[in-house]
Amino acid sequence: MAPLTDENRWRRVVEECFRREAGAHSAILDPAQDLIETGVLDSMGWVSFLRALESATGLNELGALLVERRPSFESIFQAFKAAQIASPSPETDLPRASHFARGTAVFIVSSSAVVGSRRIPSEEVDRAFGMPPGKLRSRAGIESLAYAAEDENELTLGARAAQQALHFAECGVPELDWIIATSETHRVYPSLAAQLHSQLLARENCGALDVGGACLGLVNALAVAQGLIASGQAQTIAVITSDVHSRTFKPSQVAGEFAGLFGDGASAFLLRTKNGAAPQQAYALGEFFFGCAGQYAGAIRVADAPNGNLEVHFDGEALSRAAITRLEKVVREIELRSGIDRSSLQGLATHQPNPRLVTILAKQCSLPEEKFPIVAKSFGNLGSSTCGVALDALLRSAQGQMAKQLGPLFIASLGPGLLSVEDGSPPRSSSHRSQGCDL
Amino acid sequence: MTKLLITEITRMGPAFCVIGLQREKDKIRSVRPVTAGANSWLHFPYQRGDVLQCELAPFSGAKPHIEDRVSTCGFQKEATVPEPEIVTFLRKAEIAGSLPDLFGCVLHENKRGSGLHALPLEPKRSICGTETKNLRLELCANELRATLVLSSGEVLRDLPVVDRDWRDFIGAALVEGRGANRIARLERFLNSQFHYKVLSCPHHFIRLGLTRPYHDLCWLMLDTLFPLPKHEWLEEF
Repeated sequence: MAPLTDENRWRRVVEECFRREAGAHSAILDPAQDLIETGVLDSMGWVSFLRALESATGLNELGALLVERRPSFESIFQAFKAAQIASPSPETDLPRASHFARGTAVFIVSSSAVVGSRRIPSEEVDRAFGMPPGKLRSRAGIESLAYAAEDENELTLGARAAQQALHFAECGVPELDWIIATSETHRVYPSLAAQLHSQLLARENCGALDVGGACLGLVNALAVAQGLIASGQAQTIAVITSDVHSRTFKPSQVAGEFAGLFGDGASAFLLRTKNGAAPQQAYALGEFFFGCAGQYAGAIRVADAPNGNLEVHFDGEALSRAAITRLEKVVREIELRSGIDRSSLQGLATHQPNPRLVTILAKQCSLPEEKFPIVAKSFGNLGSSTCGVALDALLRSAQGQMAKQLGPLFIASLGPGLLSVEDGSPPRSSSHRSQGCDL
Repeated sequence: MTKLLITEITRMGPAFCVIGLQREKDKIRSVRPVTAGANSWLHFPYQRGDVLQCELAPFSGAKPHIEDRVSTCGFQKEATVPEPEIVTFLRKAEIAGSLPDLFGCVLHENKRGSGLHALPLEPKRSICGTETKNLRLELCANELRATLVLSSGEVLRDLPVVDRDWRDFIGAALVEGRGANRIARLERFLNSQFHYKVLSCPHHFIRLGLTRPYHDLCWLMLDTLFPLPKHEWLEEF
């Protein structure tokens, strides 16, 4: 989030959070008025309002600062000021001091995506898992799935994506300071990052790091990469996702209603600071925010069974509800934090558990479905690579467009245990634009 | 006459909501005595653990508050049951270990903010006991909120705490006469000693309840937290 450097910005955040609770057309009361006594909010709404403010401002102790205070706007502004006095920061007036706020922009200078080279009609997958033909198409909206060929695996798909990304950026492998890999299916050692390091022939002192998170692995990895670059520990990082579900979810081991949704794919992104020779037009990473929605812990559980099979507990209805509710909340949250209206977006690279959910999400967000690149419909749910393939598609579609025509991108994902993680690309900034970079 | 073991006394604005346990053959179930004209009691001079004799008439209360019974005459105290024994009885009444089992329905996340709610016609009851793996109390502005983990691993956040005794305890901790830094001292207590005193107690147990429909939603709340707070704990912080 951009720093809340002036009172008007504070006011905008407070008013937006308030209207979420009290209703979009609620009048803003006199600052001194008691919001509960006047009946504008009840105690549930007051706490909900404060939680939204805590999340939007990073001032996690706002609720604690308001004990024995009147529930009013005035008290909230006083608490903001008290927090500012307690921990003054030269660059931000509220505790959220992101890399972005400090002016260390990290750019995605190139990207690439590959999917398994076998394209399987979903009816064939239905049959393989003993389901009535047409079930995946009619229930989930999946038309076909991308499956890895015999000679393809996480390493080959990931390496191919990485080599393409390096090629597009005209970046030599020796320039890499880190390779950060994520996969929800690679479970052997050497780890995927280490294997990619060898496969790509990176420098020996280039780090290799594996990041978890399953379907939100890409967002985790991008956040780690951003931190390494922003802290000055790296200049160039390759973030690589690769998932081959077709070998993990075999018909004899896992129920088709779950396993049939997944395909195989990989993606790669090359990240650099602006000093690291970013091309003329590149997207900068904005602020990430993360969370964990523990109330959905019962919706999905995957564990190793003693017989070598996977034990999958999968409540599809609860998961769908969780995915839609959370992703929609997340989009709203990114809007609030970044100040970017969703209508101005170039597109959204979200996780796509299945195409039906993308349709519902688009509807809930009042956005045209075209803002969400087609991934799951053609390739299936690619795990951590779903967001990657979607992001690559958006970046590719942006190429060749005039910088002024480009809108920001949002990335949002959910993973098992339903962590929710998001990245709001920051609003266009004149200082960055003057250097030829589009945000 | 009905014999009722009082297990819950919760705050409802200026009034109290009361729930007790009633034995019915080999079953123990929750019953909520209400007055003929209201769901709550402005004056209820009894404590949890009191066994009261009363007359309760069936009452077709709105779902999900199927436990409502109209009290047709006064209460008469018969005996008192110690706290650990109350919990023993509560563990034999309505109990569940996971979110969907609590009220036999889907609990929805508040799309706009915090809290969980049910749709009024869906729950099969409005009160249920459960074990927790962890529990934290927190003051958010002037509201007492609980965050807890069920034995299923599901996490419930920002539940309003309506337990009268815990609310009174927090109120007493913040009384002006207790000197400086009261809020900080209370927060320290809730972040440290509370954990040892409550979670390590052998009869630690909670009951979750649903509010009456409010704007067509029944919100989840923490009705009861055992052990009950002890007045002498106030001396420790």
